[in-house]
Amino acid sequence: MSGYYLALALRSLKRNVVLTTLMIAAIGVGIGASMTTLTVFRAMSADPIPQKSSQLFVPQIDNWGPIDHLGQSDDKLEDQIDYIDAMAFMNAHAAPHQAASYAVTFALTPADTQLKPFKAEGRATYTDFFSMFDVPFQYGGPWSAADDQGRVPVVVISHELNEKLFAGANSVGRTINLDNEDYRVIGVMRHWEPMPRFYDLTNDPFSKSAQVFLPFTRAIDRQMASWGNTNCSKRADSGWDGLLRSNCIWIQYWVELPDAAAADGYRRWLNNYALEQTRSGRFQWPAYTKLRDVRAWLRYQHVVSNEASILVLVSFSFLFVCLLNAMGLMLAKFMGRAADIGVRRALGANRREILMQCLIEAGVVGLAGGLLGLALTGLGLLGLRSLLSKEALELTHLDLPGVGIALVLAVSAAVIAGLYPTWRAAQVQPAWQLKAQ
Amino acid sequence: MLKMTHLSKVYRTEVVETYALRDFSIHVRAAEFVAVTGPSGSGKTTFLTIAGLLEEFSGGAFELDGVDVHGMNDNARSRLRNEKIGFIFQAFNLIPDLNVADNVEVPLRYRGFGAAERRRRITQSLERVGLAARAKHYPAELSGGQQQRVAIARALAGSPRLLLADEPTGNLDTQMARGVMELLEELHRDGATIVMVTHDPELAVRAQREVHIVDGQVVDLAIQPRLVGGQRAQL
Amino acid sequence: MEVRPILSAMARNKVGAILVAVQMAVTLAILCNALFIIQQRLALSERPSGTDEANIFAISNQWVGHPENLPSLVQTDLTLLRSLPGVVDAYVTNSYPLTNSGWGDGADLKPDQKTSTAHMARYFADEHSINTLGLKLIAGRNFTAAEIGEKNVRDSPLPVALIVTRALANELFPAGNALGQSIYTSGNKTQPAPIIGIVDRLQVPWVADVSWAKDWTENSVLEPARFVMKESYYLVRTQPGQLQSVMRESQQQLFQAHGARVLDKVEPLSDARREIYRDDRGLAVILAVVCAVLLAITAFGIVGLTSYWVAQRRRQIGIRRALGATRANIVRYFQTENLMIAAAGATAGVALAVAVNLWMVSSFEMQRLHSIYAIVGAVVVLLLGQAAVLWPALRAASIPPALATRSA
Repeated sequence: MSGYYLALALRSLKRNVVLTTLMIAAIGVGIGASMTTLTVFRAMSADPIPQKSSQLFVPQIDNWGPIDHLGQSDDKLEDQIDYIDAMAFMNAHAAPHQAASYAVTFALTPADTQLKPFKAEGRATYTDFFSMFDVPFQYGGPWSAADDQGRVPVVVISHELNEKLFAGANSVGRTINLDNEDYRVIGVMRHWEPMPRFYDLTNDPFSKSAQVFLPFTRAIDRQMASWGNTNCSKRADSGWDGLLRSNCIWIQYWVELPDAAAADGYRRWLNNYALEQTRSGRFQWPAYTKLRDVRAWLRYQHVVSNEASILVLVSFSFLFVCLLNAMGLMLAKFMGRAADIGVRRALGANRREILMQCLIEAGVVGLAGGLLGLALTGLGLLGLRSLLSKEALELTHLDLPGVGIALVLAVSAAVIAGLYPTWRAAQVQPAWQLKAQ
Repeated sequence: MLKMTHLSKVYRTEVVETYALRDFSIHVRAAEFVAVTGPSGSGKTTFLTIAGLLEEFSGGAFELDGVDVHGMNDNARSRLRNEKIGFIFQAFNLIPDLNVADNVEVPLRYRGFGAAERRRRITQSLERVGLAARAKHYPAELSGGQQQRVAIARALAGSPRLLLADEPTGNLDTQMARGVMELLEELHRDGATIVMVTHDPELAVRAQREVHIVDGQVVDLAIQPRLVGGQRAQL
Repeated sequence: MEVRPILSAMARNKVGAILVAVQMAVTLAILCNALFIIQQRLALSERPSGTDEANIFAISNQWVGHPENLPSLVQTDLTLLRSLPGVVDAYVTNSYPLTNSGWGDGADLKPDQKTSTAHMARYFADEHSINTLGLKLIAGRNFTAAEIGEKNVRDSPLPVALIVTRALANELFPAGNALGQSIYTSGNKTQPAPIIGIVDRLQVPWVADVSWAKDWTENSVLEPARFVMKESYYLVRTQPGQLQSVMRESQQQLFQAHGARVLDKVEPLSDARREIYRDDRGLAVILAVVCAVLLAITAFGIVGLTSYWVAQRRRQIGIRRALGATRANIVRYFQTENLMIAAAGATAGVALAVAVNLWMVSSFEMQRLHSIYAIVGAVVVLLLGQAAVLWPALRAASIPPALATRSA
């Protein structure tokens, strides 16, 4: 029977091309707009490391006390820690895996003297960083814990840097020159661009990851300044030592805790540490700490831009208007066929069969609208790419689940829009319409 | 009142030319009650349409209440129609979304009467047809006869010079039909000019005189055999 | 105009009218807010930085390694840049406007304050800065060469003089007597620095809509110190029309003077402006497109639905014409009907627009909608409805009065 309905639906849609086109256009445009913004929104709010996001945590500690300052988060805690706390955390080993890190920048002088020195973004961190964040390696691997302690001049380089300097070959063991010092390549990563770059949300959370990773201790030893945010609540003593002694925050800290019990244990340890600082007089305020996992951290940092949220809202309201439109057009279409329906009813079709016929017609319109919507989504994403900043490129890919969402959304939207017109059509009395009005 | 001389109405398609009315003449004087009869397809509906200024005619002359309607544009005809003519249709043609009073009011709105004047006329004409109590009801709530009487009230409300009735009892049962015909006769007695188109000879005799149309032309009944049920029958 | 009967008739066929009214209401709500956001974002992106953007470019300079004689290298660079043909002036600094990256600080009037009196952006500068940026000195004087200290890796010298923007001066000293007064900066509690000059305007680097600096985007301070660090920026002002050639020439000359450096980015300030406001402009464009399409869709919807109603009421229209309605009467009937629906839709729409705006104010830190947008939006929607209904109404008017006599 549904095959019959399908044939009827197609024939009926063909009969009044203008009306059908308007209906499909209404649904298609609405879906196109909504899916375009939804794609970006999904990418922005996606879990960047779903397999472990509930096992990776950021510890926060109040090392400034109750002072008001700008750019403060909702709970008045900072998103970075100072050097003293970072070292204390690392040495305490309260978590099975942990890594402090900060962003640095280098002038890289290539071996090929034809090429000018160029800027390379780097990250100083500990070896656990790579296992914690499931960083994939193409050649070699991370440095060892001994290397961490030994401030050894080794680096892990990115896939892109390896392509640029060594044409993608296995460069493990070769050296690169960073600010006139040689560093031995110990590992080469595969392409790794978590979106958002959750482990360091300073600067633009959707910009690219670092090209060079080196041991934290080495960076400190060579007095490499942070290329991120450095915030101080009071004036630090001058010089590098002054910075290390100060309460300026500039270091990101992550831990891996395998389950809820471990997380609770760490929470307790963290709070005890803060209490200890108060007791010893380093902090003159009560202990205040927090521990957040990846998803909570992204929410806390408001990673999804206002623009993305506004656009999602606008486009879904737009979809709503398109639906109302489609509903009106479907009403016109179905009721304009009242005579046809009356005849069918007189010939024995019951209400349910009229309902099915109309709903299937709505569904076909929805499917066609969905396909049009997908095409428009592609166009929309292209348009977005040209309008928004370069960093947003990674966010504008329509993946397979997205296609599925679009089609399901289109068909359900069309069917919902068609519910009232269908109901009205099914109310048509058999006898009335035989008497031509 | 209504004078048509040598009127003709041609329907032209690409292939064929049809004369709905041919060399048609009729003269209805004031306060006359004329029945216009003829078999279906004879052109009597076309006559009514033209008489009611609903359509243009192709040739001849047409004078309505002394006004020559030749060459009038759509607006002028609408105005004339609104002021001079009251229509009574076979299918009543009440507007289903409006109640009785609002239905009667429709032509008055287009006339431009003020609200008080409109109210007065509506009340008056509804009382004339005996339906003043049903002013707020909707057509669907009335019987066929009542609906037709509302239509007559609507036709009367503007004090028209001429009432044009098209098969006024065609959709009514015998009893209701009788009631409507009695009303029409009453109106005539009170001085109305009525032209009634009908195919029913029993109704036609209740008029003052009869004009018979066959194939778009007036024929003298004495000469043509009477037509019963659309088929010629020897009497 | 027969308002009451039209209303009465509509009441018996509510659904269609409600559909159109709701559509118009939602369209209005979106339109108002979208127009408002567009205006806000465009206004945001047009705020002047206070500098001669058309003729200034910035070179981001990064030394390879840690050269010993950094101060003399920087001095050589500056002398070189200043002597290039087409160059008006140049200086070295830590940041510049329109980049969202810079140094922020608090200014205190007294040494023992818990919270700063005002917040500001810190720009390291020398006696060439005002000329390089094209700033307008409205009070006091420029720095003298003797006052310029040196900010390097080891030292952070306390400034001996400060030049502030008018906005900062007014915030610190509302009485208007900022010149000559001293303020404490950089958390220093011992030695305040006197304000020796006030410039008209210089924006902070952080100009995004919802940045931490959104309440003090005009508060900047020039600190007299040569910024001698591993990474710094040279700001160069050129003669009009010479920007591109000087940009090329300066890079060549700098590499010739000392090759072990990275000039990672050389950009005119006009480019910086375009990049920093890219998302705002992009949003404005997107919203404009959405509005246009939305209006088109609503218009087509009205055309479609009204045509349907005309078709449904063919007979009724014929009757009206038979009863004396002119073509104009019929058109006016549908226009009135549409106007009433649109009026209802517009009223609901304005209320919805305000509600949506209030919600956005609380969720996205937006501003309150000005009533002008609601009025303009309502007018647009009403006119749109009237324009859209015209075609079906004219079609309706051409229905022949003779229709009334045709048998059912």
